[in-house]
Amino acid sequence: MAGLELLSDQGYRVDGRRAGELRKIQARMGVFAQADGSAYIEQGNTKALAVVYGPHEIRGSRARALPDRALVNCQYSSATFSTGERKRRPHGDRKSCEMGLQLRQTFEAAILTQLHPRSQIDIYVQVLQADGGTYSACVNAATLAVLDAGIPMRDFVCACSAGFVDGTALADLSHVEEAAGGPQLALALLPASGQIALLEMDARLHEDHLERVLETASRAARDVHTLLDRVVRQHVCEASLLLGD
Amino acid sequence: MIPDWKVVQDYLEVLEFPELKGIILMQTACQAVQHQRGRRQYNRVRNLLKEARRDCVFFANEFQQHCYLPRGRGEPMEKWQSRSIYRAAVWYHHHCQGRMPIVMVTEDEETIQQYGSETEGVFVISFKSYLDNFWPDLKAAHELCDSILQTRRERESESQESHGKEYPEHLALEVLEAGIKSGRYIQGILNVNKHRAQMEAFVRLQGASSKDSDLASDILIHGMKARNRSIHGDVVAVELLPRDEWKGRTAALCENDNEDKASGESPSEPMPTGKVVGILQKNWRDYVVTFPSKEEVQSQGKNAQKILVTPWDYKIPKIRISTQQAEALQDFRVVVRIDSWEPTSVYPNGHFVRVLGRIRDLEGEIATILVENGISVVPFSEAQMGEMPVNTPESPWKVSPEEELKRRDLRKSHLVFSIDPKGCEDVDDTLSVRTLGNGSLELGVHIADVTHFVTPNSYTDIEARARATTYYLADRRYDMLPSILSADLCSLLGGVDRYAVSVLWELDKTSYEIKNVWYGRTIIRSAYKLFYEAAQELLDGNIRVIEDIPEFKDLDEKRRQAKLEELMWAIGKLTDIARHVRAQRDRCGALELEGVEVRVQLDEKKNIRDLLPKQPLEVHETVAECMILANHWVAKKIWESFPHQALLRQHPPPHQEFFSELRECAKAKGFSIDTRSNKTLADSLDKADDPSDPIVNRLLRAMATQAMSNAQYFSTGSCAEEEFLHYGLALDKYTHFTSPIRRYSDIIVHRLLMAAILKDKKLDVKEQLPSNKDLEELCRHINNRNRAAQHSQKQSTELFQCMYFKDRDPNTEERCTSDGVIYSIRTNGVLVFVPRFGIKGAAYLRNKDGLVISCGPDTHLEWKPGSLQRFQNKITSTTTEGDSVTFHLFDHVTVRVTVQASRCHSDTIRLEIISNKPYMIANTELSHQSPLLLKSEIVKEVTRSVEEAQLAQEVQGNTLQEEYREYCQTKGRSLYALLEEIRDLALLDVSNNYGM
Repeated sequence: MAGLELLSDQGYRVDGRRAGELRKIQARMGVFAQADGSAYIEQGNTKALAVVYGPHEIRGSRARALPDRALVNCQYSSATFSTGERKRRPHGDRKSCEMGLQLRQTFEAAILTQLHPRSQIDIYVQVLQADGGTYSACVNAATLAVLDAGIPMRDFVCACSAGFVDGTALADLSHVEEAAGGPQLALALLPASGQIALLEMDARLHEDHLERVLETASRAARDVHTLLDRVVRQHVCEASLLLGD
Repeated sequence: MIPDWKVVQDYLEVLEFPELKGIILMQTACQAVQHQRGRRQYNRVRNLLKEARRDCVFFANEFQQHCYLPRGRGEPMEKWQSRSIYRAAVWYHHHCQGRMPIVMVTEDEETIQQYGSETEGVFVISFKSYLDNFWPDLKAAHELCDSILQTRRERESESQESHGKEYPEHLALEVLEAGIKSGRYIQGILNVNKHRAQMEAFVRLQGASSKDSDLASDILIHGMKARNRSIHGDVVAVELLPRDEWKGRTAALCENDNEDKASGESPSEPMPTGKVVGILQKNWRDYVVTFPSKEEVQSQGKNAQKILVTPWDYKIPKIRISTQQAEALQDFRVVVRIDSWEPTSVYPNGHFVRVLGRIRDLEGEIATILVENGISVVPFSEAQMGEMPVNTPESPWKVSPEEELKRRDLRKSHLVFSIDPKGCEDVDDTLSVRTLGNGSLELGVHIADVTHFVTPNSYTDIEARARATTYYLADRRYDMLPSILSADLCSLLGGVDRYAVSVLWELDKTSYEIKNVWYGRTIIRSAYKLFYEAAQELLDGNIRVIEDIPEFKDLDEKRRQAKLEELMWAIGKLTDIARHVRAQRDRCGALELEGVEVRVQLDEKKNIRDLLPKQPLEVHETVAECMILANHWVAKKIWESFPHQALLRQHPPPHQEFFSELRECAKAKGFSIDTRSNKTLADSLDKADDPSDPIVNRLLRAMATQAMSNAQYFSTGSCAEEEFLHYGLALDKYTHFTSPIRRYSDIIVHRLLMAAILKDKKLDVKEQLPSNKDLEELCRHINNRNRAAQHSQKQSTELFQCMYFKDRDPNTEERCTSDGVIYSIRTNGVLVFVPRFGIKGAAYLRNKDGLVISCGPDTHLEWKPGSLQRFQNKITSTTTEGDSVTFHLFDHVTVRVTVQASRCHSDTIRLEIISNKPYMIANTELSHQSPLLLKSEIVKEVTRSVEEAQLAQEVQGNTLQEEYREYCQTKGRSLYALLEEIRDLALLDVSNNYGM
């Protein structure tokens, strides 16, 4: 790995961030009128769109209906033009399925599903541009969409990735940093309680470092929460203004 | 101080000086280093930043809101980098609120101009001026900066378009071919200037491209770089440089300049200049080289496995050889071969092939000459000898009865005789003349029938074709055919029956007009084998000479008288006819081009001793004229029969511009030379005769010869008929027919003639005649070999001259001082011809220390400081004291002949002017009379001394052995031999001192 230096002597990352710094986050809620809830988020160059339908009756086989809680159905897809190399099919591949399952786990933990037994909540997420941290962008977008749909949740679900380079933990990895092949950790957090909705890491990392990386990721997730909270509040303000209160 | 990215890249060493402090390294600059120079240098930048004492700061300008600039559309990277850095510098200036001066250092002139005065307090200057202004005392930094600057400049100038390579890559063959067709590149043969092998080479245009381009002259290739790894003789593709980069050639004499190359142009006049873009055909051959001596090896240092060897030929660059034997091979001439020449390497790579012989040893040097000319002289093989007919005393060769039936028998009817140089073995032409019954004369030329013995594509034929000619060196000869043929069965010796191919003309009795001609195979018996001098005596009516003619020895007086009269009549008649033919040719403009370098006529002669006939006998001319006549008629015959596949010989008319030097020289003497046609040239050369100085005419003729191109063989299918012309002989068609024993072209012509005769008789041509294409190929080969033969002959003569003069001390030895004539003026010297030895050479008027020649009181010249001034036809040397001496063209001077020894190359004759008056000594006239003898004596003497040295060694060895065997008893005979040897040596010494 010659040439590229993820963290310079001066503590700058390739795109000029500090180690714990997030990329610029911009988000909007209620981007589609037809859907029950929708949101769009940009984390740096990663862009994701989330749409939520429900809660509604179970579609298709009724056997799937759960007697005590709602069924969370998540579908993940990423646009064929989202990556550097054009993808063959936008969804249905292994990675999309896995991502869908992860999202489902995350939101089953966050949404108060027992309030809507025998019903279904659909969360559709599409990544328009992938520049690292797609999972976290999807989670953040879906959170906003769920909020937009007015589905009760325990808390925001805020996700952020973290990596580990040269003894330093880096928050919110970009594509370049991901591609460098270091360990990468994805964390979904319920910020208020500090509960972890999902933690996923598929590389080797020394136990001693895990704490620090986790710390970095959760702090970043809290930062994300602050931002998302701001977005929600602003959205609510605008909505109430429109309603004429 | 903020260095630009370029400065960081190139001057990092200077920035590392501990004295330089307060450097702000911009992220942009660092990244440029990281990307373009790699990790090592980037690490050095990082170390620079880490060192706390250095006060070096890294500024991530691209992450700074106010400094970041997006790269504009289509903006070059370099521009954007400079812009970013300047922006950051400006930001820094404002950041410090102008309390600190900010200096941006850059190497880009444009940046300096653009931003130099944009913001107050931010200075944009070059690195050099930064050092000058801010660190004037830091000498080391200055020096380092200079050296970096210099190496960078060198690198840039050397590899402007190549990245770290010594030479640009050659273009692909398809690209070259397309380029040549479209006229973008020009195809030609590379000729390296021997005297400036490093700098100058010329490309002689070749093929179609020369016709449609408007380039009249050759293309100059200046420098090794433009030559791009091509070697002398390669066929290359050349791209012309723009006109403002054209250069002129230099006309000054330089080291090793012992030859006069026609360089009439003034040094300033630019000529088309180009660079080689690709090699179409490599002409690598075996090269003779010399290993560097011990001292040089050591100085080459640790890389002793790879050794740079110096080729014998100046035109070839040094070759890198990897060998362990360097020390053992130091004193030898060695053959190497070039393997490759990578674009990254200054010199070509080669490998060692074999050893030729010791340096300065006669055999070694001769072998060198042979290899350098590509002459291989292995003895004839068994298979070849097996094809030869037998002729031993036990089973003598006889005329076969079948042949007797087929051939016309001239043994009884004709008086056939040969005239050749003394001691000649290979007689390939004989003559006859007789009166026919109807009163007409019959002139006959009978040529040895070599093709009878050498069937096409036999081993002998293939070998002869490869050799193409017999090679005559100064002291030896390498035959084209095995000696059984060349000296015996084909040779038309006196008194024996031989097969011949004859041309018989029927001439009018009085007007000598040719009425009829007959070609065919014959059987002859030569009656007399005369030599030139005897024939001349007979022609003059001097019959004392018959004592020397062996054929007359055993005859009684009466028969001898009758025979003598018959012979004398024949020779007289022959001369008469020859004069007539010659006169006819003269009317058409035949040139008489005798001189030291007459190659055209040399072909008609036999031996080295006839290289320079000082006073040619008329018989020479008679024989030559008959041969020319035969050649001419045969040429006509074969061309008529085979208009598209006859082998002829052409001599193209010379370019007029080559005559300019001749005209200028003649003008200096008051003659005008008209070079418009061969007729006018011949006439004006005849007129340009200074009665007081015969050498002037000889020199002018030699110059005229030099201006002409060489005659060459060609196939009639490949040329238009107008181009068949032989300029020198003024004949429309000419070929070589008369010397099949020593020229392969004649063998081909013989076969063609035989086929033509068969065709006339409406018979089938049995032999497969070569097609036009084959013939063309063959002609090229023969021409090449002929050139090689000429070069080797010349080089061996020079070798002998050098060996002759080498052992003589020029200051004491009388013979080393001689009379010379100035025949060309150069900027720093003159070219001098020494008639006595037939030597041409350079004499400097300014020596290596910059001193010029000046005239002392007793007309002797000495070296003094001063200056030289060159005019059209004179050169003046003026000393600082005001004395001046002027040399005009054709001035006679006294020169001292010395030998300049050279380890890697051949020795050269060096001339030194010691007086500006003609050399006056009693025996001058004497030596003027017989310069030829002198030349051959040089050869003899050198050969003899070498032989004797060997003999002496052998004798010594033998006697020692014998003594040992006989228990220290020496036999009377061997003692006698020993004494004889001593006596011989003593005689030799005496002859050295007083001889000649």
